[in-house]
Amino acid sequence: MKANTGAISNKNTKARMTWKQFKRQVYPQSFVLLGVLFLVIFSYVPMFGIIMAFKDYKITSGVQGIFTSDWVGLKYFSEFVNDYKFGDLVRNTLVISFLKIVFAFPIPILFAVMLNELRGMVFKRIVQTVSYLPHFISWVVVLGLAYVFFSAQDGIINTLLMTLNVIDKPLDVLTNPDKFWGLAVMSAIWKEAGWWTIIFLAAIAGINPAMYEAAQLDGAGRLKRIWHITLPGIQGAVIVVLVMSIGSLLGGGLVGSNFEQSFLLGNSVNSDTSEIVQTYAFKVGLAEGRFAYAAAIDLVQSVISVFLIFTSNYIAKKLSGQGLF
Amino acid sequence: MDYILRRWRGRTLEDWVVDSVNMFLLLLVLIVTLYPFYYILIISFNEGTDAARGGIYFWPRKFTLDNYETFLNDHKWRIGFLVSSARTIVGTLLGVLFTSLVAYGLAYKQLIFKKVYFPIIIVAMYFSGGLIPYYVVLRELQLLNTFAVYVIPTMLNLFFLLIAVSFFNDIPDELQESAKIDGANDLTIFYKIILPVSKPLLATMSLFLGVGQWNSWMDSAYFVRNENLRTLTYRMIEIINQSTMPIDPVGSAIASSMNTTTTFSIQITAMVVAILPIICVYPFLQKHFVKGVMLGAVKG
Repeated sequence: MKANTGAISNKNTKARMTWKQFKRQVYPQSFVLLGVLFLVIFSYVPMFGIIMAFKDYKITSGVQGIFTSDWVGLKYFSEFVNDYKFGDLVRNTLVISFLKIVFAFPIPILFAVMLNELRGMVFKRIVQTVSYLPHFISWVVVLGLAYVFFSAQDGIINTLLMTLNVIDKPLDVLTNPDKFWGLAVMSAIWKEAGWWTIIFLAAIAGINPAMYEAAQLDGAGRLKRIWHITLPGIQGAVIVVLVMSIGSLLGGGLVGSNFEQSFLLGNSVNSDTSEIVQTYAFKVGLAEGRFAYAAAIDLVQSVISVFLIFTSNYIAKKLSGQGLF
Repeated sequence: MDYILRRWRGRTLEDWVVDSVNMFLLLLVLIVTLYPFYYILIISFNEGTDAARGGIYFWPRKFTLDNYETFLNDHKWRIGFLVSSARTIVGTLLGVLFTSLVAYGLAYKQLIFKKVYFPIIIVAMYFSGGLIPYYVVLRELQLLNTFAVYVIPTMLNLFFLLIAVSFFNDIPDELQESAKIDGANDLTIFYKIILPVSKPLLATMSLFLGVGQWNSWMDSAYFVRNENLRTLTYRMIEIINQSTMPIDPVGSAIASSMNTTTTFSIQITAMVVAILPIICVYPFLQKHFVKGVMLGAVKG
């Protein structure tokens, strides 16, 4: 009995102490709580709102409707699987993502090694400075540049090649389904490769210069030194970045931007190869107003992404003893 | 001279080949990256009707400022430019202020419930409900079709929030304590002491948030219907999509009989205008790059 009341009053004093402490730091607490409120509204409500994918949800019922509308189970998921576009969408999403891992991932590594081999410091700085400029330019402008260079009517490349009589009718890059994947990979490399080079250059800078001198004394040439010192020296960074890219594979990996590209470079003519799961979700959701269906499509992609993050992290840990978490 | 000789002596054939090939390839990279920007710049200063004949590669053939004049006089483009500028200024200011305010709270020593707050932030950083439920929330808040949709949801940047917390943690406590003794409250300390000593942080944040605001287009495409709220980026998408289609009623024909411009030359001018602010802040952006990409990499 006595011990019991003791425990209660102990609890009370603890709560009172906390309250006192809280009052003393009421300003910082209220700043933080404002931030938490912001996150609840703009992150957590949407996060829980994803349950609309399993519900008969109508947009007119607002946020509240997400939680009150009737469950329909996996109706929208089976509808998506049976959608006549399903095959194309999944193929495009996977192919574009894999092409980017295969072709866009090695470029920053190669580029970093090449920059490292440059002797002139000034030239090195110039190349590097210029190479990450496109990272800061909007994808919209990149779309504009693609149009300026490749358009069948005004494109400078077509005009030039026609004047030189290399081709006799304009190459159709922007509105040809067969060219979209190449266009996506190339434009992603153009825009982002320079930016990701920074991380590999930083890794190279961490290699002990004495190793190069020693190798040189042993008679190793330039290529041998690259192969036996530079590349093994940045192995750790490469693995970390690779794990990250596989984790964000469906978004386009390292160079990201699957969505932007499909949305901006895609059009009604090349949609057979340019439309991906995410842009389709956008279209059926916001343009056609089928919100629950769109949320279900989006959720499929998110679940695969989360699965990929954990799998790639697991594999990286197994292989190198080093993962992201 | 001696230095150069020493550098060139002892170069093997392999060195020579590696250096030449390397130099050549990097020069190619330089051109491929830079030339598109240069090309649109010269076309924007050339008469549109003349540029349509092709053959301009290095220098404007018929120099003119018509394109810029038409761009600025066109109602749609002008609105786009103003909306983009306004959202960049307001959005950046709000973002920097709110993010650093929350960060200041989180960096407060002996902050109770810290163990609750940080997981809330980390989870929000890694997971999202996707676009559709987000849209429903914006609709509920009546943010759709308002200018606020550009600047309110971007007010808290979680990536910079964490950077700011660690920055504030490194500020010596003595600074704040002396102010406290003088009777200042935490809000006063925040804007009289913390913000002034955090200029490098605020500058970095402003630059990155500003570039993000200036470049963004998705919100204008999806959350806004009012033509007077469209951003510059949205206008560009609109005009490029019109002209990419093979069946094109207007084509690249002369847009206005009043002067020498064409739809194409105006579109290119808009691109130059969209790139220009970025080029202007680029030297400053660059100063803070490496740290940014490293942290970005850790964040994933």
